[in-house]
Amino acid sequence: MQIREIRLRNTQGLHARVAARVVKVAGRFKSRIVLTVGERRASARSIMAVMMLAAAMGATVRLEIEGPDELAALEAVAAVLASPGERR
Amino acid sequence: MITFALHGIGVSGGIAIGRAQLISHATLEVAHYTVPSSRVDQEIARLDFAVDEVQKELTTLHGTMMREGELPGEFGAFLDVHWMILNDPTLAEAPKRIIAEQRCNAEWALVQQMNVLIDQFDQIEDAYLRERKNDVVQVVERVLKRLMGKPGSLPTAVAEERTILVAHDLSPADVIQFKTHHFAAFLTDLGGVTSHTAIVARSLSVPAVVATHNARQMIRDGEMLIVDGSSHVVIVNPDRAVLAEYRLKQSEFELARQKLKRLRGKPAETLDGQRVVLNTNIELPGDLAQVLDSGANGVGLFRSEFLFLNRHGLPTEDEQFEAYRAVAAGLAGKPVTIRTFDLGADKHKEDLEGLARVAPNPALGLRAVRFCLAEPRLFLTQLRAILRASHYGKVRILIPMLSSVAEIDQTLAMIEQAKESLREQGEPFDEKVPVGGMIEIPAAVLAMGGFLDRLDFLSIGTNDLIQYTLAVDRSDEAVSHLYDPLHPAIIKLLALAIGGANKAKVPIAVCGEMAGEVAMTRLLLGLGLRDYSMHPAHVPTVKQRVLSSDVAAIKPLVERIKRTDSPEKMAALIDKLNA
Repeated sequence: MQIREIRLRNTQGLHARVAARVVKVAGRFKSRIVLTVGERRASARSIMAVMMLAAAMGATVRLEIEGPDELAALEAVAAVLASPGERR
Repeated sequence: MITFALHGIGVSGGIAIGRAQLISHATLEVAHYTVPSSRVDQEIARLDFAVDEVQKELTTLHGTMMREGELPGEFGAFLDVHWMILNDPTLAEAPKRIIAEQRCNAEWALVQQMNVLIDQFDQIEDAYLRERKNDVVQVVERVLKRLMGKPGSLPTAVAEERTILVAHDLSPADVIQFKTHHFAAFLTDLGGVTSHTAIVARSLSVPAVVATHNARQMIRDGEMLIVDGSSHVVIVNPDRAVLAEYRLKQSEFELARQKLKRLRGKPAETLDGQRVVLNTNIELPGDLAQVLDSGANGVGLFRSEFLFLNRHGLPTEDEQFEAYRAVAAGLAGKPVTIRTFDLGADKHKEDLEGLARVAPNPALGLRAVRFCLAEPRLFLTQLRAILRASHYGKVRILIPMLSSVAEIDQTLAMIEQAKESLREQGEPFDEKVPVGGMIEIPAAVLAMGGFLDRLDFLSIGTNDLIQYTLAVDRSDEAVSHLYDPLHPAIIKLLALAIGGANKAKVPIAVCGEMAGEVAMTRLLLGLGLRDYSMHPAHVPTVKQRVLSSDVAAIKPLVERIKRTDSPEKMAALIDKLNA
């Protein structure tokens, strides 16, 4: 199992578009991907669950990934979470 | 019938008079009944079918939107979110369990599950995310309408009578469908200046008032309405005197709009006979219709980043060529300036695959031409595609974010390399395709000699020039008040750039937001600018300002503006200039 903690850098936290991107990227992997913020846990397969994590900017998200492609999945999902958002 | 007024936020100006058409609120009309256990499977199948149908609807809409390309890219992102919500197990699977357990109808199961989700969203502290429950409601509404046998699409406006749409809220999917309907105005209970309703109303030039709180409840189907988007007011069942007054106001507004439209074919020329080029900025090949309709001279800035929208991986050469050729050929002889990728290595992470990296300070990092020069394969592919398109129209190449002569030389060498490879393959292209550079870094202005010697034309990107000169990120709310286009330093840089290029007889344009702002038109004219590039919607108003300006007369005032270092004096002088 791969575990990593990531601080959100997006100014709007884990908002709808980032949540959508997390779900989209997670969908490409076979591994089980779970995001945790404080007490709340969410499967990266469910946009609703990810949005309900309600992680604000600067919050730390814990990623737990287990499965055949866990290493690649970790890098891909972590990259989405760590991105600073859209530049205008 | 009682006359009354409702207040909201006018998000799109103008006056509309017409009959109300209410959009039904499916969640309020849902029936609750039990089904025999023998029919549970059938009920589940009914839900599955409805979800499938809505899924197809959203996919089709997404396709239409991308093809027409008239709406901002964020609509695509919202459709994506809705598509995912629809497919989320909490919405796609949970209601089936409710059907089986409670032996109730599919609609009722769906509404119950929606309420569970809304409760969960309501507990979220973050206001923005809490509001996402509206997305869940909008998706459920669509499925409910399917289940209840009502088409998901909106009713068509009746042709002979002006129809005003009254809804609780409008989803991005609803909004995209408006493109093909002809509503006279929009009214919604919810929403704000940046809501979907507002964006689409403005793009259609139709009045809209949002955040009316309870319009949907107060107004009945078929009632006469006056929507005044400019004064944020809606009048329900107006009497004859009020109606007459507003008809007059409406015709005055229309007259002013027509007047602008008549300027379409007129060349932009100042009172003292100075010809001015008015070009447009576009983001998608689909923006072409708007360009031709605006009466502009051509396209002064075609941003190429759209090629990275809604896709994974890098766009191929042929894909790019087709997009550039469509615009070059579609302009029928009018010029198009294609800007090479203004991408940052920090964004488009997924799309850039292995090329992405984290930049500690993205605005000062590996972006635009720096990124392209660091990824020659990506850059060459784009240059070849643009060159191939140059065979089909009047194409110019624009390089973003140049800061040094070395970058110009490297870029020109890359263009030569791309040309050479095309020559070897016998691919036709314009040998003399002009190559220009964006002036958006102060260093480029202060050391412009090297730019003037090497490039065929220049284009000032005022947004970035201001950001880099004042060290202000406009999207950062903590400092956005410091973003000031009229800062004396900006005026001095503009004067230096425009004056230098004019002296060297190298064409120079402004393609930033400043070019489309009518309050800046005279200032730029006085600084010597004769080439503006802006959003197509701004062309008529800027043209009107050009037509009413006398360059010789404003010159002395502009000279004083160039010299002043006091913000108060600056504001007063600009007011005087625009009087």
